[in-house]
Amino acid sequence: MTSLALQAPESFQPLALSSRSDLTAFLMDLAAELLADAYMLVAIVNEEDRNIARILASNWIHDAIELVGHDLIARLAQLPAAAPGSRPRSLLVSHAPAMPDLLNGEEAALLDVLGHCELYALAVQAGRQRYYLLLSSEHVDRIDEHRLVGAQMRCGYALSQMPDLLRAAVTRDPLSDRERECLLWVSEGKTTEEVALILGVSGNTVNNYVTHAIQKLSASNRAMAIATAIRSGMI
Amino acid sequence: MTDPARNLEDPAQDLRQPLFGNPLFNAEAHRTTTIPDAVRRARWIAVDINAEGFGLFFTPPSPERPILWPCFDSSYPAVSSETILVAGEDRPELVRHIRASSVPLWWAEEPAIGASEHFGKLAWTTRMPEALVPEMAGIAFPVHTERGRCGLVVFLGFEINLTPDSLFDIHARCFSLFEAVARIRPGEGAKYPMISKRELECLKLTANGYTSEEIARFLKLSVHTANQYLTNTTQKLDAVNRMHAVAKALRLGLIE
Repeated sequence: MTSLALQAPESFQPLALSSRSDLTAFLMDLAAELLADAYMLVAIVNEEDRNIARILASNWIHDAIELVGHDLIARLAQLPAAAPGSRPRSLLVSHAPAMPDLLNGEEAALLDVLGHCELYALAVQAGRQRYYLLLSSEHVDRIDEHRLVGAQMRCGYALSQMPDLLRAAVTRDPLSDRERECLLWVSEGKTTEEVALILGVSGNTVNNYVTHAIQKLSASNRAMAIATAIRSGMI
Repeated sequence: MTDPARNLEDPAQDLRQPLFGNPLFNAEAHRTTTIPDAVRRARWIAVDINAEGFGLFFTPPSPERPILWPCFDSSYPAVSSETILVAGEDRPELVRHIRASSVPLWWAEEPAIGASEHFGKLAWTTRMPEALVPEMAGIAFPVHTERGRCGLVVFLGFEINLTPDSLFDIHARCFSLFEAVARIRPGEGAKYPMISKRELECLKLTANGYTSEEIARFLKLSVHTANQYLTNTTQKLDAVNRMHAVAKALRLGLIE
C-alpha cells in the first residue's frame, strides 16, 4: 500500500486502512510529505495517577525510545500539543532552558543528540479518543508547517478507521458484553434489581457480572469500576 | 492544551514565534466567546465554503439517548426547520459515528446531482446512507473537545465549495469553534446548579474507589459531612444515586 497520505483526487471510495502495516505506511508517507525525519503516534493512558505514553507506531530507533523514556514522551506529546483547529507550534530543543517544566538540560541534550532538534506535537482526534502525533526533524525549520493542519486532520480520519486495532493497543478491554451492559445500567443509576429486570436475569446474576467487572478492572468498588470504564471508553 | 492565542482564526499571531518562553503558552485566560460570537464564526466558515445554512449540535453525554441537541443554527436566534428536523429523531448510527470517528459525512439528494459528484471527489469523507435533511445536500463534521464532549457541525447547500485541501482547514476551524462553544455551554452542565470545589473533590475521590470514611479522613472532614457533600452533588446533578452521579460528572467532564 503506497502513498496513502497523498490525495487521491479521483477516489470515490473512502480510503481504507485496516491493518497495522497500513498505519505504518500512512504515517511514513505523512512524515515524508512534511519533510519530518521521525514520527511517533502515542496514546496517553492514566495508570495509577500517572500519565503514561503508549506508543502505537513510531520510526524512532528502539534505543532512542529507551533512552528518552516513556515519561518524557508523554510530557512532550501532551504539553505542547496543538488541538485540532489551533496553530501548531514548533518546540525547539535548543530553547529548552526557557521551559524547565517540560524539558531539563539533560533531556534536551539527549533529544538533540538523537536528532529530534525540532518537534511538533499534534493532538489527533479519532472520535472521542485523542492521540498524539510527534513529528520531528534533525534540522530546524525543515518541517513544512503549512501542511501540518492537513496532516493532523488526515491522521484523525485514518485512525478513525481502525478503532478496534487501536483500542486493543490502548486498553485491553477485558469486559464481556454482559458485564459491560450491567456496568452501563449501573452507571445510569439503576439498582441491581432494576438491572435484573431490564436484562431478564436474576439479581444474583447481575451482582455476579458486576463483581467480575470490578475484579477485571482492578477496581475496589462499583463507583471506581464505572469511573475506570468510562475513562477508558468501555461504556 | 488549548491555547486561544494559537487559534487559526487569529491572523495576527506570529507564525514563527517559538514555543519556549512564550508567555501565552500557559495562559489560562481563554478568550470569552458568546453564542452570537460563535454564530458569527460559523457564518464566516459557511461563507467561505458557499454554504446556505449551518447548525451546531451536541451529542448528549449519556450513551442511552442517541439524539442530537441543537445549540444554534444559521437562523439564530430563531431555530430553523432543518434543525428541528435533525434534532427531532433518534439517530443511533450518526451518534455512534460521531463518538467513534472524525470522518466527515455528506449527503446529497435529488436534484443535487452536481453536489454529490462534488462531494464524492473529497477523499476521506463518507456518504451518509440516509440524507440528514431530505431534498438537501450538505456536509457534517464530527467535532470533539479535549475533555471528550462530542458534537456535529453541519453545513447545508447544493453548491458547497470544498476542495480536498480546504476540507482539512474547514474541519479544523469547526473543531476550534466547537471547543469555544463547549466552553460557553459545557453541554448539560449549564443546566445544573454550581457544584462546589469541595463537592467535586468528594465525587472525584468516590470515582477513584474511596469510601466515605476514607474521603472524610483524606479531607479532614467528618464522615457525615463527606456524605452530605456527596448527597448534595447527587441532587445537583439530578442523579438517582452516587454511581449515577459519578458517571454523569465524568461524561460531562466535571471530573476527569
